[in-house]
Amino acid sequence: MDIDLEELAAIIEQLDKTEFTDFLYEKGELRLHVRRGGHIPEGAIQSPAAAVAAAATAAAPPVPVQPSEPAAPPAPAAPAPAVVTSNGHSPAMSPDALPAGHILVTAPMLGTYYGAPKPGEPAFVQVGDAVSADAVLCIVEVMKLMNSVTAGAAGEVAAVFVKDGDLVEFEQPLFAIRAAS
Amino acid sequence: MKHRIFVANRGEIAVRIIEACDRLGYDTVLGVSSADKDTLGARRAGRVVTIGGPRPADSYLNMNAVVQAAISTGCTAIHPGYGFLSERPAFAELCAENGLTFVGPSPEALRALGDKLTARRLAESVDVPVSAGGTAQTANEVQQLAERIGYPVLIKAAHGGGGRGMKLVESTTELAEAWQLASSEAEASFGDGTVFLERFVQDAKHVEVQILGDRHGHRVHLGERECSVQYRYQKVVEEAPCTALPEATRALLYQSALRIAEALDYVGLGTVEFLYDVQRDSLAFLEVNPRVQVEHPVTEAITGVDLVREQLLAALGEPLSFTQSDITLTGNAIECRITAQDPENDLRPSPGTVTRWRPSAAGGLRLDTHIYEGYRFPPFYDALMAKQIAWAPDRAAAIERMEQALAAFEIEGVTTSLPLLSRILAHPVFQHNTVTTHWLNELLTEKVNS
Repeated sequence: MDIDLEELAAIIEQLDKTEFTDFLYEKGELRLHVRRGGHIPEGAIQSPAAAVAAAATAAAPPVPVQPSEPAAPPAPAAPAPAVVTSNGHSPAMSPDALPAGHILVTAPMLGTYYGAPKPGEPAFVQVGDAVSADAVLCIVEVMKLMNSVTAGAAGEVAAVFVKDGDLVEFEQPLFAIRAAS
Repeated sequence: MKHRIFVANRGEIAVRIIEACDRLGYDTVLGVSSADKDTLGARRAGRVVTIGGPRPADSYLNMNAVVQAAISTGCTAIHPGYGFLSERPAFAELCAENGLTFVGPSPEALRALGDKLTARRLAESVDVPVSAGGTAQTANEVQQLAERIGYPVLIKAAHGGGGRGMKLVESTTELAEAWQLASSEAEASFGDGTVFLERFVQDAKHVEVQILGDRHGHRVHLGERECSVQYRYQKVVEEAPCTALPEATRALLYQSALRIAEALDYVGLGTVEFLYDVQRDSLAFLEVNPRVQVEHPVTEAITGVDLVREQLLAALGEPLSFTQSDITLTGNAIECRITAQDPENDLRPSPGTVTRWRPSAAGGLRLDTHIYEGYRFPPFYDALMAKQIAWAPDRAAAIERMEQALAAFEIEGVTTSLPLLSRILAHPVFQHNTVTTHWLNELLTEKVNS
């Protein structure tokens, strides 16, 4: 079972009108976890940002919704809630509607996505990492040829939209980078 | 095993292949460029993956991306359609190395056929008639060869195609220079400077035989097509059968095609092309196209055989379900290629948004197309929009049906070749079927001059 972005947006909108700090919804393979009290965007007064976790597959190992480090650096302009999947990578936001100040890193070619230099090694980057413009974010493998994908701009990794071993298509969104100001 | 076919093409042929797969119960995955995400093929395919950017080199010609996409989506076979990767031996090899069935002949057959000089020698070796010609090394030998053939002669690139890499030489004074030039152009365009000489046949018809082979040694032909209406070596109107052939010549034509198929142990669909000199009643082998042809529907119309279906089944190892004696040719079929080209402006491409698209729905017609109202015809690929096919019990009736279909076809937003097609169909030379391959060029040049 899957949930589309519009449905997700509707749920968050409804939740936003209520008093809550932590919301967990499970049905079949779907697990939706929304938590209030993340970063408060500068200038955002009305709606506190919420962090949402949507785990589409029960098979994926459960991972903490958010790193337990207290306050992440303030987001300059991120009124949208952050979304984290259970594998630690995150469709933190919709690639179709990036908040201002964010840039999209897309696949320069079709191939297989790898987030780490080798299997078992730590990922090149995690959500929250600061990266330089020439930092390698991932590898796209095409017929055993490894192609490094760089950030293209300095900033902070705000979202990872794909997971290890996925087929990524040409120009498919891979990362969102919150550009350094 | 449920087959899943990767369709490595675009446009109308992608739709045609998907449709054949659907009826066979095969899954389909279509690889598209980023400019082709909204095509009819993309709507019809079981799954769509974007394999690269709009330029063909970045997508439809990108072998690694195509094979990677096919593997990653769990495909068992790749159908290359026509053009793009369909005739590349290296692509067929890459498919095989990765456990994918290439829907086409073996890499060896592709290699032999990709070199026109090799193909010519192969034809000669099995007693198939070829034009007087050959190749030579020194300028002196070339001179002697040309004298033997008789002027005018045509210099052809061994690895050329679609009319590219050809030079017409009228006399001995031009020969040496033209030979040099042709060779360096061939080197630059096709990566191989091999050129050869052939007699230039002034007035010939283009006839071709449809062949089909399986992996069990069975081979059949499915009659011939005539494709003499060409502009700059691009076919414009095709028909089946060729009504200008005497029976004895037709029999020789079929035998010749089957001999070549046999020599190559040919698997899948292929077309053996010939020039037919009407005055001399003589045939000359041209080349073999080792793939499905744009004009295959006219053969389907007169044989009732679904060629793309048979091609897929043969590639996947099925034996042919019919023999030569089961194939009968009934009636006449004509195909008109409707292109986004402006007949008033030297057939200049005219991409744009198709705001109206209303084909005729009369009987005896078939339309192969990827166009729908609102479709933005992209500027990156060939200009083919649709193939209108008309069938009738005889040629005159088929022409009439086609004329009505073209007249009723409403297209707006994009300038198309419809008026030119109507003009061709109405022309006495076409109606009497005395068209040769230079006829349309002359007709269009006249118009410019007058």
